[in-house]
Amino acid sequence: MELLKCINLNKSFGNKKILKDINFTIPKGKIIGLLGKNGTGKSTLIKLINDLLTITSGEILINGESIGVESKKIISYLPERTYLDKSMSVDEVITYFSEFYDNFDAKKARKLLKDLDLDTTQKLSKMSKGMQEKVCLVLVMSRKADLYILDEPLGGVDPATRDYILDTILSNFNEGASVIISTHLISDIERILDEVIFIDDGKIILTSSSDELREKENASIDEVFRRMFKC
Amino acid sequence: MLKKLLKYDLKYMFKVVVIFYGLSLIFALLTRIFLNIENSFIMYVIGQICNGCMISMLFNILINNLMRLWARFKQNFYGDESYLTHTLPIDKKTLYLSKMLSTIITLFTSFVVIVLTIFIAYYSNDFVDMVKNMLFPLSDAYNVNIVLIILAFAFILFLEILNIVQVGYTGLILGHRKNNLKVWLSIVYGFIAMTISQLFVLLILFVIALFNKDILNLIFTNEMISIESTKIIIYLSIVLYTFIIIVENFINIKLFKKGVDVD
Repeated sequence: MELLKCINLNKSFGNKKILKDINFTIPKGKIIGLLGKNGTGKSTLIKLINDLLTITSGEILINGESIGVESKKIISYLPERTYLDKSMSVDEVITYFSEFYDNFDAKKARKLLKDLDLDTTQKLSKMSKGMQEKVCLVLVMSRKADLYILDEPLGGVDPATRDYILDTILSNFNEGASVIISTHLISDIERILDEVIFIDDGKIILTSSSDELREKENASIDEVFRRMFKC
Repeated sequence: MLKKLLKYDLKYMFKVVVIFYGLSLIFALLTRIFLNIENSFIMYVIGQICNGCMISMLFNILINNLMRLWARFKQNFYGDESYLTHTLPIDKKTLYLSKMLSTIITLFTSFVVIVLTIFIAYYSNDFVDMVKNMLFPLSDAYNVNIVLIILAFAFILFLEILNIVQVGYTGLILGHRKNNLKVWLSIVYGFIAMTISQLFVLLILFVIALFNKDILNLIFTNEMISIESTKIIIYLSIVLYTFIIIVENFINIKLFKKGVDVD
């Protein structure tokens, strides 16, 4: 069964059309790369799925139902910005997630944070931006969700941290769940992708299985992307 | 879920205003101590300084409350933290109600602290007599206790401030539905909402004035306000502000349920 389905989805800001007639489905148990250059509509699409923007026209269905309380229970979302109350300590944030998300595994979060050698009594405001981002990732991946949506998880981080992020994603997502990773840093993630969606100028220009695409084009996804989006 | 949200909203509010509560109570106590020491000019001066500090703390409680309530609303619903707030498995109505309830609770607590501070600093037989003399005509007209009159005025003031906070929320909701100049538009919409609510009060007052000579005189002449008019206005204020707050709350929830466009 489809986990996520977008039907004729459009989003405009004033007269400016950001997303144009988006149609795609996400099945269960897949890792999907939402790939496109900066400013092509990836984050807008993700925000719409997460009820952070209003839909201009069209529909988004999660497990066959419109976006709402039920869909938010099964989606674990990592935005591209640090979104936690910085006056809270890591311990307080863990308590917060435990209180609001039934599927949050506090033990797992503490273990992952311990691996980072992080003092959980420390306030987020006292941490570096990189460390805050890691805390956010750990919290998101500590939920037993059906769909993980990660918006630019590799943006602006060093190669060693990228490896840490990818390992954390791969080793912690719920079995049978799907993961959508939005990025333009394809070479780093292409090894983990089952499917890809290419987006450009607010339109989906390609959806394919990663292996099929590589076979068909006789090139890596990164190369295909560079060819398609050559300036 | 409402309980949990409320807990975090109140925690955010009180962790700062409680400092001003403490300071205002300390300065009230110091004012009382120093102003009661007789025949000492220095103690009198210190007492006056403490008195000034106490008054500034009282204003601070109110201003800080308003600013923090609006800042929390914006940050939680439209700022960075909105990415967490709107992805919590909670419906929009509950999210909004939590903000309204935390507003009512913090404003009420602040009112209690303000009254307590004034009581600590100034309570004396002379002070009580002065208040009694001032409010006697009203208490006589109502045939009720003076304490009830004070409570009625305090309640009206509370409703007025609650209305100010809520039109601020209306402004923020409407301003953030636009694509550009969201903060400026929030302020503009807030003023428009405030103006509409005040015009509504005036309109109702004018309608009543058509049937009541006292109120008509209050609007069109410089005559002193009569006890009878005051009585009507007190009742009217309570009823109208309660009505406005309920309607605004209903409109805000309706607007909010339509969805948000975060930055």
